[in-house]
Amino acid sequence: MDKNYTARRRRDLIIAAVLAALAALAPLFVKNVYIQNILVLTLMYAALSQSWNILSGYCGQISLGHALYFGIGAYTTELLFTKFGVLPWFGMLAGGAIAALIAMGLGYPFFRLRGHYFVIATIVIAEIGLLLFQNWEWAGAAMGITIPVRGDSWLKFQFMRSKLPYFYFALALCCLAWFVTWWLEDSKWGFWWRAVKDNPEAAESLGVVVFNSKMGAAAVSAFLVAVGGAFYAQFLAYIDPESVMGFQFSLLMALPAVLGGIGTLWGPVLGAAILIPMTELTRSYIGGSGRGVDLIVYGGLIVAISLALPQGLVSLFSRSKAKGATR
Amino acid sequence: MTALLETRGVWQRFGGLVANSDVSISVGRGEIVGLIGPNGAGKSTLFNLIAGVLPPTQGSIWFDGEDVTKLPAAERCQRGVGRTFQVVKSFETMTVIDNVIVGALMRNTVMREARRKAHEVLEFTGLAARADVLASDLVPAEKRRLEVARALATEPKLLLLDEVLTGLTPTEAQTGVALVRKVRDAGITVLMVEHVMEIVMPLVDRAIVLDLGKVLVEGKPADVVRDPKVIKAYLGDRHAVGA
Repeated sequence: MDKNYTARRRRDLIIAAVLAALAALAPLFVKNVYIQNILVLTLMYAALSQSWNILSGYCGQISLGHALYFGIGAYTTELLFTKFGVLPWFGMLAGGAIAALIAMGLGYPFFRLRGHYFVIATIVIAEIGLLLFQNWEWAGAAMGITIPVRGDSWLKFQFMRSKLPYFYFALALCCLAWFVTWWLEDSKWGFWWRAVKDNPEAAESLGVVVFNSKMGAAAVSAFLVAVGGAFYAQFLAYIDPESVMGFQFSLLMALPAVLGGIGTLWGPVLGAAILIPMTELTRSYIGGSGRGVDLIVYGGLIVAISLALPQGLVSLFSRSKAKGATR
Repeated sequence: MTALLETRGVWQRFGGLVANSDVSISVGRGEIVGLIGPNGAGKSTLFNLIAGVLPPTQGSIWFDGEDVTKLPAAERCQRGVGRTFQVVKSFETMTVIDNVIVGALMRNTVMREARRKAHEVLEFTGLAARADVLASDLVPAEKRRLEVARALATEPKLLLLDEVLTGLTPTEAQTGVALVRKVRDAGITVLMVEHVMEIVMPLVDRAIVLDLGKVLVEGKPADVVRDPKVIKAYLGDRHAVGA
């Protein structure tokens, strides 16, 4: 039994390494900049969704306000860079730390709320954040911040000639988020989170400090999402509140995980790999005309998948596996 | 030697309803104590007060020589209070072994040790064959057993069993009784709530009868069942007179 378990974890790790290696080779074959762009976004959303999944999937605290942490990562990095000349690498870490602190600060009152009330609170808070940034003069208000071009360099994490450095960073971030999840899954925290999600009262009776587990999950989740926000800001080279803190980011973090399998190790990656290219392709081929057809197709596909596979796409794999295990 | 568990003048009011009034009981080390009484007697409330789900309106609760009245459930678990729930609360999306690991992590911070401990407990409670099954796929009797296993994994000094034998078939109940004895033989004190008298009475060393929120009678099971006050509480005045 234990052998099976360790073997399964090792197998996950090997699959991830192989996939990462294959992804790393992708630029050798994909020269089209548009496709490269989609790959970067896919990897980024996979990473974001994986991070969202820690709080909302494993710990069961559904957040539709993670755009706030994404925006905080972006703004911290760019404000530090443009106002104080701090390198984006440090800004990224600072953004992560600030987002984690804010997540815990917000968790303090909001983790008392349950179910839908918690979800509503996260939406409202993210909207408030958005409004604050839209009116904050020093941070550029609604005009946003243009990141000054200083030439291609890893030091300043800025590349105009090629998308490849961004691609590799996004891949690294995705691997990091996956690995953190993999590691936490088989830790005290991972077990505590799942217990809290399934039944907080029973968890408490077994010595789980429910409140602290939620806080821990929120901090890790917000940190990683903010790092993603910092990356996105560098990638765009221009940010304004709507383009890094809009509600769509909250959705685009939640959807891949939900579609792929919420609270699972592979769900977010799988969901993002299908959803993000689909979003981009529907937008470029059938969108644009009336601003809506693409969204209808997109929404329809999501509904279809969730009706057919309520446990997410990963259940396609695990179902056959589970059968094999019991025989 | 002091009692392992003591409640001193415990009151619990819910609005105008008095669920427990001035309840003082004690449970000695190594005992199996039955907490019985008709429906609405305040057994479950007292139980939740001992487990730390809510603080009593008045009075204090002492565990292992320490006042734990103000401690939340998680900290009481750390002190050595394990419990099951009347309405089972399994972690449904987790496997049986993972359910038990959550409990085992209380005293084993290294995953490998927690896992080993959990397997030991599954062996002890007779659930080893079901280790990799999802908790939601267990039959009711197994879910009860899982509740016990999870609580045992936290290595409690006192195990609170809330109607673990109720609603089981006679055979299942017999296995349950055997398990409770085994738990006691492992050195764990047991306080169990039941309202099915014929199952509990042969099992417990001592019975405490609650009625209308108060301690009505306490003593050896054989004496308790013959006590006119107990018969009256369960069956009404007419039968008490006959006794």
